[in-house]
Amino acid sequence: MARSWFTGRHDESVAGDSNVLNESYDEYAALLDAVRGIRWPARSAVRGGIPGAHSSRLRGISAEFTEYRPYRQGDDTRRIDWKLFARSDRAYIRLSNDRAILPTMIVVDASASMAFPVATNAKWKLAAQLGVGLGAVARNSGDPVGLVVTRGNDPLLLSPRMRRSVTYEIIRAVSSIEPSGTAPLSPSLSIAAQSGGRLVIVTDFLGDAADLLATASRWVAAGREVHAIHVVAREELNPSRESAMVADPEAAEIRRPMIGEARDGYLEAFGRWRDELAHDWSDAGISYTMAVTGEETPDHLIRRIAAVRSGAAIA
Amino acid sequence: MTFLAPGFLWGAILVAAGIVALHFIVTRQPRASVLPTARFVPDSAATAIVRDARPSDLLLMLLRVLVVVAAGAALAKPVIRPNRQADMRILLMDVSRSIANVTETADSVKKLYRPGDAMIVFDSSVRSLGARGFDSLGAIRRSDARGNLSAGLIASLREGSIARDRADSFELVIVSPFAEEERDAATDSIRKLWPGRARLVRVTARGDSTAVSGGALEIRSSSDDPLAVAVSLASRQQPRVGTRIVRSAMITADDTAWASSNGHVLVIWPSDSRPLFAVPHVPVDQSGGILSGDARVIAAFDRRWMFPSDSLRTGRIVARWADGEPAAIEKRVRQGCIRSVAIPVAAVGDLVIRPEFIALVREIAAPCGEPRSTTPVASAVIASLGGRGRLAPGDAFAARQDIALPLAHWLFGIALAAALAELLVRRIAPTSGRRSAIATRVTSGAIS
Repeated sequence: MARSWFTGRHDESVAGDSNVLNESYDEYAALLDAVRGIRWPARSAVRGGIPGAHSSRLRGISAEFTEYRPYRQGDDTRRIDWKLFARSDRAYIRLSNDRAILPTMIVVDASASMAFPVATNAKWKLAAQLGVGLGAVARNSGDPVGLVVTRGNDPLLLSPRMRRSVTYEIIRAVSSIEPSGTAPLSPSLSIAAQSGGRLVIVTDFLGDAADLLATASRWVAAGREVHAIHVVAREELNPSRESAMVADPEAAEIRRPMIGEARDGYLEAFGRWRDELAHDWSDAGISYTMAVTGEETPDHLIRRIAAVRSGAAIA
Repeated sequence: MTFLAPGFLWGAILVAAGIVALHFIVTRQPRASVLPTARFVPDSAATAIVRDARPSDLLLMLLRVLVVVAAGAALAKPVIRPNRQADMRILLMDVSRSIANVTETADSVKKLYRPGDAMIVFDSSVRSLGARGFDSLGAIRRSDARGNLSAGLIASLREGSIARDRADSFELVIVSPFAEEERDAATDSIRKLWPGRARLVRVTARGDSTAVSGGALEIRSSSDDPLAVAVSLASRQQPRVGTRIVRSAMITADDTAWASSNGHVLVIWPSDSRPLFAVPHVPVDQSGGILSGDARVIAAFDRRWMFPSDSLRTGRIVARWADGEPAAIEKRVRQGCIRSVAIPVAAVGDLVIRPEFIALVREIAAPCGEPRSTTPVASAVIASLGGRGRLAPGDAFAARQDIALPLAHWLFGIALAAALAELLVRRIAPTSGRRSAIATRVTSGAIS
């Protein structure tokens, strides 16, 4: 799979007209203001590494004392609390809670099905806002943030960065993309998982949902924290009652009449599929959140997602 | 305008209404749109019967309606009903040889003619002068043919059928000398078919110039010729012109000179050699009878000679065999004529003394040309021709089934042109209308 490393200053494909970008920044400014105070703690202790804001599974040497442990052969002698040794004549090691960063990779689906409704692109706009907002929240928590946008045969990859401008780079990236194509999402998830401890999947699951679940489950088993945000358009939940021949933008062979009782059948099948999706992803230990266009503001959605502590699904 | 078969028009209107309804209620794909979750829609037939607010394919609909209505109107036989007048005259003008002066006849017709009347001239045949008949009256000449009242009456009936919608009643006006020769056995029957009275205008009859008397019937033959007996018996009634029967094919210059003067009749009736103008009849057969004028002879005759068609070109048939073939012909020679007879006369039997054979001889020896009689018909016949009662009502005439229908031809042409146009439009835009636009947008995935 071809990769295009997004660097902001050097990637011509995303460095569009400055006026357009300014408009994009203005579009996201309110959202960034709204999510400024949100913190996004890890759902569980993270692996050790660069000091950060999340509790680490490692016990380190930070100033925040936790407990003493008897010295065992092999421990670093520099961690022995010599004052205690002088008082008790026993060698103890001073332990403290370690804190680490949690690299966050946001995987956004930019397939053709996200460009719906065609007139407003509401699904894609919501997905982009969630990506930008969650990236900003993660960045505000001191975590490196990266982005993978699945678009056609050329996914856009932005490696995790901690610098302040990463949020704007994400904005520029999503602003330059028009959803199209039928590219699967699971390869992009695997790419993102190689450099991220927290994976956020923003998609409508109308592509390779089964493969995506299998891939996400593997990375959950590997210790990654995975959040699945299911973007649904209000028009998909409540389609027009007017007779229409509906066509799948990603599958030309699917053209079916939405007439009379077909609408009821559609609502039942679509609802059952959503329930099964939420159940399967929650069972896999993945935070599942359904985001409906026009029903909830992005910042509110982000607050809910950031507040998830367990693997429960959020409807 | 009216229709002779309006059922076709009503049927066409019903079919056209069905076509219009079908253009409103069409089986087609409904409005297309994009729905990413279309896979959850139950799969079913991709078409639906929908009722549209406005007709689809308006041009095609109009063309189809035009085809059906035009064809139906053409089949309904449209005719343009002329302005109806109270009464109309059908003027039957005699121009046969029986009239003395055609100008007198034409003047009589002019006095009775009114604009819109129909005019028919007749002698042995009939012709309608149409709307411009009055203007052509001055150009009409007297014919040498015998008049035929029956033919004129039939033509009047036909004209009445044609013009039955143009007037409430019809008056038949016959301008004729009403000579006896113009009447035949069918005249009275045909006259009764005219459903009203007729006005008879009698004009001066032509004098009978052929009524010459004092002639002699002679025969030049051998002494044992059986025909001489018949000629002898026939000559008891004095013939009107001089007639010479020659029993040989060889005629002399004196015979020819004699035949060409004073209306003489030279009859060449060979006993066994080839008659003048005749050729052998191969094979020789028999005929059961001969007809000439009012004479009819029933007997077995050997037919050894026949008159070819080119021999009749300038002649007249005087006698016929029972099957219609000529048995004797006549050729004019200046003021007289020569007749060639191919009738064998048996030397045995009593044929030559039978009255019908003697009558046949008299017919063959009759004056040259068609028999002519300018004797006026009897007053009873005149009264019968005039009839009684009122004028003939227009409805009494049978409606013509062979009336020319120019409108129908035009309507058929329009229907054909519309059908071709419909085919062309359908080929140019096979998926015209909104349906094609929808299909295009679905393919491009650009539907909102």
